[in-house]
Amino acid sequence: MSDKVILSVEHLKTYFDVTPGMFSKKKIVKAVDDVSFDVYEGETFGLVGESGCGKSSLGRTLVKIYEPVEGKITFDGSDISKLKGKELAGFRKEMQMIFQDPYASLDPRMTVGEIVKEPMDIHNLYATEEEKRDKVVELIKTVGLKPDHIRRYPHEFSGGQRQRIGIARTLALNPKFIVCDEPISALDVSIQAQIINLLEKIQRERGISYLFIAHDLSMVKHISDRIGVMYMGHMVECGSSDEVYRNPHHPYTKALLSAIPIPDPDVAKKRTRIMLQGEIPSPINPPVCCPFCTRCQYATDRCRKEMPQMKQVENSQVACFLYE
Amino acid sequence: MEKVLEISHLNTEFTTEQGIVKAVRDVSFDLYKGEILGIVGESGSGKSVTMYSLMGLLPANGKVVSGQVKMNGKDISRTSFENDKQYDEMMTKVRGKDIGMIFQDPMTFLNPVLRIETQLVEPLVNHTNMSRSEAHARAIELLKLVGIPSPETRIRQYPHQFSGGMRQRIVIAIALACNPGIIIADEPTTALDVTIQAQILELISELMDKGNMSVIMITHDLGVVASMCDRIAIMYGGKIVEIGSDREIFYDAKHPYTKGLLRCVTDPEKDDVELEPIPGTPPDLLHPPLGCPFVDRCSEAMKICKVKMPPTEKFSDTHSACCWCHQKEKLGHV
Amino acid sequence: MNEEKNPVSAETETIDPAMFEPLDDSEKNAEFIAVESRTFMRDAWNSFKKNKLALVSLFFLIFMILMAIFVPIISPFTYDGQDMSIANQNPTWTHPFGTDKFGRDILVRVMYGARISLSVGFAAAGICMVIGIIYGGIAGYVGGRLDMIMMRVVDILYAVPNLLYTILIMLVFGSNMFSVLLGVCISSWIGMARLVRTQVMSLKEQEFSLAALVLGASKQRILFKHLIVNSIGPIIVSLTMMVPSAIFRESFLGFVGIGISAPMSSWGTLANEARNMIYTYPIQLVWPVGAICLTMLALNFLGDGLGEALDPKKR
Repeated sequence: MSDKVILSVEHLKTYFDVTPGMFSKKKIVKAVDDVSFDVYEGETFGLVGESGCGKSSLGRTLVKIYEPVEGKITFDGSDISKLKGKELAGFRKEMQMIFQDPYASLDPRMTVGEIVKEPMDIHNLYATEEEKRDKVVELIKTVGLKPDHIRRYPHEFSGGQRQRIGIARTLALNPKFIVCDEPISALDVSIQAQIINLLEKIQRERGISYLFIAHDLSMVKHISDRIGVMYMGHMVECGSSDEVYRNPHHPYTKALLSAIPIPDPDVAKKRTRIMLQGEIPSPINPPVCCPFCTRCQYATDRCRKEMPQMKQVENSQVACFLYE
Repeated sequence: MEKVLEISHLNTEFTTEQGIVKAVRDVSFDLYKGEILGIVGESGSGKSVTMYSLMGLLPANGKVVSGQVKMNGKDISRTSFENDKQYDEMMTKVRGKDIGMIFQDPMTFLNPVLRIETQLVEPLVNHTNMSRSEAHARAIELLKLVGIPSPETRIRQYPHQFSGGMRQRIVIAIALACNPGIIIADEPTTALDVTIQAQILELISELMDKGNMSVIMITHDLGVVASMCDRIAIMYGGKIVEIGSDREIFYDAKHPYTKGLLRCVTDPEKDDVELEPIPGTPPDLLHPPLGCPFVDRCSEAMKICKVKMPPTEKFSDTHSACCWCHQKEKLGHV
Repeated sequence: MNEEKNPVSAETETIDPAMFEPLDDSEKNAEFIAVESRTFMRDAWNSFKKNKLALVSLFFLIFMILMAIFVPIISPFTYDGQDMSIANQNPTWTHPFGTDKFGRDILVRVMYGARISLSVGFAAAGICMVIGIIYGGIAGYVGGRLDMIMMRVVDILYAVPNLLYTILIMLVFGSNMFSVLLGVCISSWIGMARLVRTQVMSLKEQEFSLAALVLGASKQRILFKHLIVNSIGPIIVSLTMMVPSAIFRESFLGFVGIGISAPMSSWGTLANEARNMIYTYPIQLVWPVGAICLTMLALNFLGDGLGEALDPKKR
């Protein structure tokens, strides 16, 4: 990990128009609302939150699947939020994505060899077919599969093996940055550790930076150097993973941490969990106030009227009025 | 302790286009009154199929080949009935009344076009001799029990008007409707967020304290098992490879798979330790290995493991595992 | 202590100690895949073979096509060779289907009709498929306003009774193969376009097409290499259903008298000619009508069989 910022996100907003018909009242889902953070070269930035908090939308905005409404994304010194055409294609080589569902992220009608070779075809990376084939075999071996697997189709593999094929495909482009969109949540426990170790090994060897999106806090803590906690499209807390874990500030982070099941019966059975009361508000046309105020036990009138901004609290950044 | 459910030598097979899949192989365990038994395993380990087999809910291509299921001493195994019709008639009375079920995805269990009221009142009227108005009162009481605010108005609503966590509460209310002695929960919190999962787990423990229930909880999450279960069975490749009390499994695991599984999970309380994944992928039950199903991924594998199924070794009254390594120790070939 | 509680069983005692040697890593098969590697088409063919009715239909169609090609070549008679001396004969060894009112051999005429009917059917289906895939693919992939406009155009085309403009086309271009094809195709591609559009719309949200986008694939590449290839199953099924409807449409045009003109014949025109003789020589109607019915049935069974074999949900 170095001090060089490779990705800088400033006031990013991604909205979706979910208005059902032409004549209905406009309905906007603010999937990502005013999020800012930096990722340093060679580090893993973990992004956690529950389903619907906008963490996947944020990841997809960064790799330009979705267009941001507002805000600036600076990658390796250049603004990428407005890229088009050839420049966009060049950027795609630098930043890649690993998807959540290993059953849906590989084209079922292509062999493993064709899948891994596709990025090389798209970007004309190697001169001859032989070179491409050698590279495919090398990548397949890197992710721990056998070279004779390249003739097979994705449906013949297990979930963990497919996820490794997906990783091989992203590595074909030699990216500097990979967005990992819940890469382990669909996998079994014993396989999750395989993928985590593989990702860590690749990071050590190639110095790639990761944005690691997950809802499983314990795995995120393990792999990440720094963690951002998201809730309803906002980032509510951000800091080093030890700091966020050992010394959480935001009431939501506290509740989230106390809810993680701990695989140790003596600890788990004695622990008291913070139980959140109240309903999760609808993400459509949300009011301007603290998004967590409906479930927060410390909520005051100010929380229901004003939006808290990110402030430095001890070693973390927290968006909560409790710390003002 | 009183046994409420006894399962012995259960075998279940599926007929597929590629051949016969032996999904459950010689599974035996007991459920005692008032306990939570956790069944842990990866996908395809046969944990859900075991439950579907004993509930008579297998899909058309699945079949219980042999084995016995006894509920409070009464034989409810498929193999002791002449035909499917008799078995189904008997099981229809058992399901919901004696054994309640909680499923992973509440949306597939709840009927989207029926009001919550109908779905709660129906089993009450069918299984007990309650009148409709009595059943309605009981339904509101149940919704209160599972923590649904203003049940009098919400009972008139449809499933889609509830959030995921609330839906799972309704499913639990339906499972509890007839006061069953046994609840089978198949991954009850997998589809939910962690904060909601904590609420549901809390609810299940509260209900356990109130009633004299026994629960079988199927899950892949070792954290959930650690915080909820009294006893734990570990399944792999269609077999129970280790069974024991929570402390025996977590602090004194005997089977290499259990040990490996515990090394794969991170305990966020502790400092970072390198994860030690189990290499390889689970066996294909279409062509299960002759010997131990774990042989191809096991770090302690021996030649015998490949050809012969290991015998079960008892370590205490509650703790047993099947692995050749324990036989090896005894024979002294170290 | 354990020793006392669980004595080593006699069976275990007899095991060769060598069996307790550690297993070498090379003997383990940790990344083993038990499933036999099969391509999608092989898989589909295997399950198609199990449907006997569809298999029989496939052979019948192949037989029909071979007959249509070779009977007019081999037979000593031609489709327009008149011989009034043998008019309206019942089936004989020289004329297996008999002769018509001009003494023309009915077998040759039916097989010649098969050439026209089948080629109209397959050509129309092929043209509709190409247009439908391109139109539906673009509408589905681009989406938004363009999709809205493209689909409203289709709706308008669909709303006009198609017999109306078929007759208009016939009047303008005359009764030939081109105008028949145009008349049949002008509305049949709509179904294909709608099908492809829905397929593409659902597939483009799948992670594999997002993955291709992130990898930098162009829009054309994603559409044709990923989305269309993955909708090939439903496309083939709809294609096999489109062939009989095109044949039927062509026969109908022939039957009402605006199809291919005499002395050339399609099944429809043959049926129309035989209709005049229905009270005197009903056997003459049996051949063209039988050919239409059997071909339609075979194509429908084939479509059903393919539908089942190519259904991705089944696996």
